[in-house]
Amino acid sequence: MAEMDIKLEVNGRQQQASAQSDQTLLYLLRDKLGLTGTKDGCASGDCGACVVMLDGKPVNSCLVLAPQAEGSSVVTIEGLAKDGELHPVQRYFGESWAFQCGFCSPGMLISCYALIESNDNPTREEILAAIAGNYCRCTGYQGVVKAVQQAAAELRAAREGGTGA
Amino acid sequence: MSVSEFITPASLDDALSIKKERGTEARVIAGGTDLILRMRDNVLSPSLLLDLRRTSLDRIDCSDNGLKLGALVSLSQLLESCDIEQKYPALRAACCEFAGPPVRNRATVGGNVVNASPAADLVPPLIAYDADVVLRSLGAERVLPLVEFFTGPGQSVIEPDEILTGIRLPPPPAQSAATFIKLGQRRSMAISQVNLATRLAVDERSVISEARIVLGAVAPVPMRAIAAEAILTDDELSDETLCAAASKAREEAMPISDVRASRAYRLEMTEVLVRRALFATRARLSGKTTDG
Repeated sequence: MAEMDIKLEVNGRQQQASAQSDQTLLYLLRDKLGLTGTKDGCASGDCGACVVMLDGKPVNSCLVLAPQAEGSSVVTIEGLAKDGELHPVQRYFGESWAFQCGFCSPGMLISCYALIESNDNPTREEILAAIAGNYCRCTGYQGVVKAVQQAAAELRAAREGGTGA
Repeated sequence: MSVSEFITPASLDDALSIKKERGTEARVIAGGTDLILRMRDNVLSPSLLLDLRRTSLDRIDCSDNGLKLGALVSLSQLLESCDIEQKYPALRAACCEFAGPPVRNRATVGGNVVNASPAADLVPPLIAYDADVVLRSLGAERVLPLVEFFTGPGQSVIEPDEILTGIRLPPPPAQSAATFIKLGQRRSMAISQVNLATRLAVDERSVISEARIVLGAVAPVPMRAIAAEAILTDDELSDETLCAAASKAREEAMPISDVRASRAYRLEMTEVLVRRALFATRARLSGKTTDG
């Protein structure tokens, strides 16, 4: 069994950790780097609890081997808040009751974050398509749709509000 | 799973050298969305993984000569391609219903083909567009029709020293249209119970000059319904002809019962969905003729 040194950027910081060549990025994040916000759900790419940003795109970290992420840039749920301020999509998740037990939220939030980073005025259908790979098994998706729309509106307003702020 | 080595070759030739030396012990990893699961379930136990991400096989090249897809082109890349949207809409339709966004960001066209799943969603539209598959070994290349690639569930004609490097599609004829339909237990994240693609080309008298009916998940390999295609060829686009072809396609399908659907249901759905796909393809054709 080959132990490999994996170097990658996680939430803006260079990290290095050793992992066996058949261990996943999810394992690396949780068990080696202590970033337990990302959840281990089905471990087969169905539920979306483990979704993280990998080189700018949401992926199932349970379906990425650690050495495949060598040299990549990863953003996890721990990386969304900036300077102690929640990202708007996180804040509106709370205000709109977009979660109940919270287990799906880290992956769900990353998928929503990925959407509004590329589209700051998504339709309901676009939001549902963006979270098609994320299952919520307790509170449903209506709150998520509402939260994303509110967060997108705030981001648009901030952008349209000019550069003075 | 226990992989003892993970190598990221700097070039395709480096990867092919390793394949030549190590054969089936060495397995290519592209997106890994299927391979990682099959390794964990011990269906596949390669001792060496070859990550091809430095080999530039992630390119889409569309020209008047057709479409070339590198094996590492992801489903998301296919979805974002204007060329595919305009010229190969049935392929795009299959991408839209493929798993969900996080899987599509990793899964590749080469992986979907080389895994040789009878239910692979990209394969019916690719075969309907007369795709060829490109297989490379050190110092050699062979190109064969994709429909001849598969030999059984998870089985293909690929040799131990070969790597599937790309897919090539000819340019679609002027008066032609294609449709993809997938039936699954839900719209996202579902393995198909039946998937299929139809493509029709017509001549200036609106007589069918070329017909493709490609069925997935109803046989050990994705298959063309040859007898059903023969009913269509040289005939007109009448309801009777399209229904007769759908009925013949049902006779040609040979599904099994499994956890996703029974044999009887799959047979019934084959006829219903081929009919729907042919009607939809005809509607697209007539839309084109009145527009153009």
